[in-house]
Amino acid sequence: MAVEPVIIKGTRDGIMIIMDGNTDFEIIKNAIYEKLQNGNGFFDGGMARVKVKNGSLSHEDYLNLEQILKEFNMSLQRQASPRTIIFPGQCRNRILLLKKTVRSGQKISYKGTVVILGDVNPGSEIVATGDILVMGVLRGMAHAGAHGDMSAIVAAFRLQPTQLRIAGIISRPPEDKQEVPQFPEIARLKDKAIIIEPYYQLNFESIKRKREGIK
Amino acid sequence: MSQVLVITSGKGGVGKTTTTANIGTGLALYKHRKVVMVDADIGLRNLDVVMGLENRIVYDLVDVTHGMCRLKQALIKDKRFENLYLLPAAQTKDKTAVTPDQMKKLCEDLRKEFDYVLIDCPAGIEQGFKNAIAGADRAIIVTTPEVSAVRDADRIVGLLEASGFEEPKLIINRIRPDMVKRGDMMNIDDMIDILAIELLGVVPEDEKIVISTNRGEPAVADEYSRAGQAYRNITRRIEGEDVPLMTIEEVEPTFMDKLRMFFGLKARRVKGEGARWTF
Repeated sequence: MAVEPVIIKGTRDGIMIIMDGNTDFEIIKNAIYEKLQNGNGFFDGGMARVKVKNGSLSHEDYLNLEQILKEFNMSLQRQASPRTIIFPGQCRNRILLLKKTVRSGQKISYKGTVVILGDVNPGSEIVATGDILVMGVLRGMAHAGAHGDMSAIVAAFRLQPTQLRIAGIISRPPEDKQEVPQFPEIARLKDKAIIIEPYYQLNFESIKRKREGIK
Repeated sequence: MSQVLVITSGKGGVGKTTTTANIGTGLALYKHRKVVMVDADIGLRNLDVVMGLENRIVYDLVDVTHGMCRLKQALIKDKRFENLYLLPAAQTKDKTAVTPDQMKKLCEDLRKEFDYVLIDCPAGIEQGFKNAIAGADRAIIVTTPEVSAVRDADRIVGLLEASGFEEPKLIINRIRPDMVKRGDMMNIDDMIDILAIELLGVVPEDEKIVISTNRGEPAVADEYSRAGQAYRNITRRIEGEDVPLMTIEEVEPTFMDKLRMFFGLKARRVKGEGARWTF
């Protein structure tokens, strides 16, 4: 089945341009041009968002696209997904990288930041003086900033811990069974309480400022 | 190449002994392999009872490791199945009566005589577990669709990995398709997701297991047992055959089947491949 290089969909606040990342950008560009031309000014002054399937858009292409849209009096809304988000973790000297599943009964203790490429299963414990980053499902107990670092964070691809601890603060997920979020999340301390935020909507500036303030 | 397999679970009561008995019988009966089942649950021996061989015990595993008798003297030949042997555990001693080194030596001795050495591991993670896994090449982990059993299985996988076992295999026991369908029981994918090991087979809950266990006749030999069918498939997978895992759904009997059942001409039965229930 041939994939259409570009699909344009209407959304509440403008249009969504869905493009196939495997297709040459030149073809995509022409297709967008053609589609917008056929609109006969219908899209005039609207907002557009871009979604790339099976790939990503280079910065150059992105600017190129913005140019085309400008010709049709449209503005391109900058979005989180095509950009690289820098992880807000502190640059620490000591990092433990583990490529395994941490299973029930296993305990990882480390003076520094722990990065796990795998799942952390229920019944296991991760204790780090720095941050904890799990590139998988965190189902066990995680204790970041074990020596009292209030700026430590716990981040996971899927954050479903039995218990979370940051510095001296302990929290657990709500008892009532709710829908588990299917996106990466970050837990950090705010006013002596652990808050959990989706990774993509994080206000990085505030974390940065907080860290610098503590230093 | 002969293999030493340990059947373990962590949690008790999930069906290690039943699984050992059925896999052992299956390999001997259908694959004509020379099989010995070793009961490593010293002090709480059960495998002999499940196999219906209790009254034939003269010497046991502790006698062999302590040099009180020759290995051949302690081995019990099964009364029904050719090529199937049992090395029973001692009932009057406890787990400390044997060391991992002694078990290793025992497994090496058995390996020379048999195609398969199946070790029935005791519950827990202490000395008995360490003894049972000492001489094994591969591990089969049995779990039931309960959070606690899966948690313990996960712990066992971790301990096995630490002891140098590569890729333990998983058997999910006593699953009830109707409950899974209603969402009242953990489904297979949930368990695989957590344990992240290869699935060897799924055994449905089956009343016949209770009957066969009490009678000392493994269900694998019962062609009409659902669990028996599942164990036959597991046996074939151990032998390296590619038996696909089927969806566990009870197929509604057709009108003709119902009619036959009504006249007692057809039991709700399973036989061979292309069965009504496939596991």
